[in-house]
Formats: sequence, C-alpha cells, structure tokens
Amino acid sequence: MDELELLKKDWNSDTAKFKNYSDSDIYPMLHKKSSSIVKTLFYISIAELGFWLLAGILPYFLSSSFKAKLETSYENPLFLGINIFSYLVIILFIILLYNSYKAISTTDSAKKLMESILKTRKVIKYYVFFNLTLIFLSIPLSIYFEYIENPEFHQQIVEASTKQMLILYLFAVLVAGVILVILWLFYRLIYGVLLKRLNRNYDELKKLEI
Amino acid sequence: MNKELEHSFVELLQKHQNIVHKVCRLYTNNADAHNDLFQEITIQLWRAYPKFRGEAKFSTWMYRVGLNTAITLYRKSKRRIKTQEFDAVEYKIKAEDYDDTEEQQLKLLYQAVQQLNDIEKALVFLYLEDKDYREISATLGISEVNARVKMNRVKKKLRTILNP
Repeated sequence: MDELELLKKDWNSDTAKFKNYSDSDIYPMLHKKSSSIVKTLFYISIAELGFWLLAGILPYFLSSSFKAKLETSYENPLFLGINIFSYLVIILFIILLYNSYKAISTTDSAKKLMESILKTRKVIKYYVFFNLTLIFLSIPLSIYFEYIENPEFHQQIVEASTKQMLILYLFAVLVAGVILVILWLFYRLIYGVLLKRLNRNYDELKKLEI
Repeated sequence: MNKELEHSFVELLQKHQNIVHKVCRLYTNNADAHNDLFQEITIQLWRAYPKFRGEAKFSTWMYRVGLNTAITLYRKSKRRIKTQEFDAVEYKIKAEDYDDTEEQQLKLLYQAVQQLNDIEKALVFLYLEDKDYREISATLGISEVNARVKMNRVKKKLRTILNP
C-alpha cells in the first residue's frame, strides 16, 4: 500500500486533537507584531537609506571647516553634478523600493512570492553597489579637488617624488579596499542569515523547472 | 467597518483553524514553535484579508497564505525555548483505536515526513489535503507536470527513509 495513503487516512481522521482557539483567543493575535522576513527586510532598507543619507549630510553640520570646504566645492560643477546625481539616485531607489515592496503578496504562488522578495533584496543591493562605487570614486576625486583648491597640498604634490606619490596612491586604494571588504562581509552576514532559508527553497523550486 | 471586517475574519479563521494547525504540525516540531507559527500565519492572513474577495474558497486561500508563511516569510529564530520535541505518537487521540503495527507505521511515517525539506513538505501537505495537481502547481508556482514528477520523487524518498 502507498505509504502516503495510510498517512492521509490518519491525517484526515485526527483533526480533533489540535487546540481549538476561540474567537477571543484569535482577536489579540491579529494585533501582535509580525516576525516575517519582509518586515525585517523593510527595516534593513530603511536603516540603509538612513545611513547613507546621514553619511552624506552629517559632516556638513558637524564640522564648520568641512562645511566651509564643501561650500567652495559646490562651486565646482563636477562636484555639484555628482551630488545632484546621488540625490536623484536616492529618489529613484525609494521609488523602486516602494514598488517592489508593494509587489510582495502572500497570496501569490510560493515561487512568485520568493521572486518578489528577492527582487526587493536586489534593489537594496544595487543601491549599496552604487554607494560603494561612489566611495571608490570619491577618494581619487577628493584628492583631485584638494589638489586644485588647496595651494599647500598642491605644492606638496608638485614637489613629491615618484615614491611618495606611489605611497599616496597605495594608501588610497588600501583604505577603499578595507572599507569595501568590511561592508561586503557585513552584508553577507545580514542577508546570508536572513535569506538562507528563502534561497534554499527558491533553488529547490527552480530546480524543478529545469 | 473595520470591526465588521475583523469579526468576519475571526469567525472564518476560527472555523477553518485546523488548516493552520496542520501547516504548523508539518513545519514545526514542538509546541512553542507550533504556536509561534500559528500566530505568524494568523497575522499574515489578517493582513491579506482585505484583498480576499471570495473568488476562491476561504480555505483554498488559507492554504496559500499558510504555506507561504511557513516556507518563505516565517523566521524561526524569534524564540528559542528548549522544549521536548513532539513524538509523532502524541498526535493520536486514543492509541487503543489503532492496532500496534499500523500505529508504529504511522509514527515512522510522521518521522519520515519531518525529514523532508520545506518544498517536499508542502507537496505532501497539499497531497494529504486531497488537492489535485492543478491546485498544487498553482500554489507552489511550478508546472503541473513538474508537480507530478516531484510528488513521485517525494514518495520514493519517503520509501527510502522508511526502508533504508
């Protein structure tokens, strides 16, 4: 006999043994906090957005010398352009994120639901990539701006030997590299833990389609 | 209006709560985890309820949201109280209603099902609930042919677990 047939017989015969929740048991359940991964993902994306926004804005308010320096930098069209562009990207990111959250529906098929969640995760990922690229570019760019606007630094560079220049370059690359590795590990940890089960189940469903 | 909606939802859920219990039974192995998952499925059902327009049966709609919560949305790590795991036999109402061999066989079967992965469990669940392949394929988002193939593999896997 088919094993599952035996199980089915039992499955449909012993429903009475579950705890029977009454209406008054169920009412408070509706208003409890959810612990779903979509909610966690939502908090992460808000934190992510907040972090990058603060990272961009905070130095302006915290350091008056930096503020003064920034104000002169804004006169440079390239610097201003990059800044406007990065704010446009933030707006785009918020729109994309909002749309992808709206697309997540528990009444979709399991596969579709997983795809919507993974898509949301991708939007966040692209935003992080964008910010990392910006960090990478900003290091040589800030050196360049410093070179143009700071006569002292300009003089130092002009007088620097090849060896000193090489050290400067290496230092810039190293700092950027360390930041990148730390952030990468951090993200691997957050999303790795959060989406491990989802990824495994999605792979299982995808495997079926081949 | 909101009170009315809440009332109709609670009434429906109360009536069909066994579906949620059965999902919990398959995906958890102790009472705390069972209650946790029940709670989460209830929240997800309630959130999705305003969009439920009766185009499907309430129970069919529950299968989908329930399984989606168990497979995809639910995070187990919220509470980790160590409790004794259920023995499959505890699920019986009266042990004497069954003869020994069948009871033993069922116990082993439940244990074997517990060893399946999340997707395989979902297939078994829908199969036990007497859903046809059309509904299984729509719930999981795979083709009917693949659902059938996978179901046969699950049966084979269960047989291997039972008779190593």
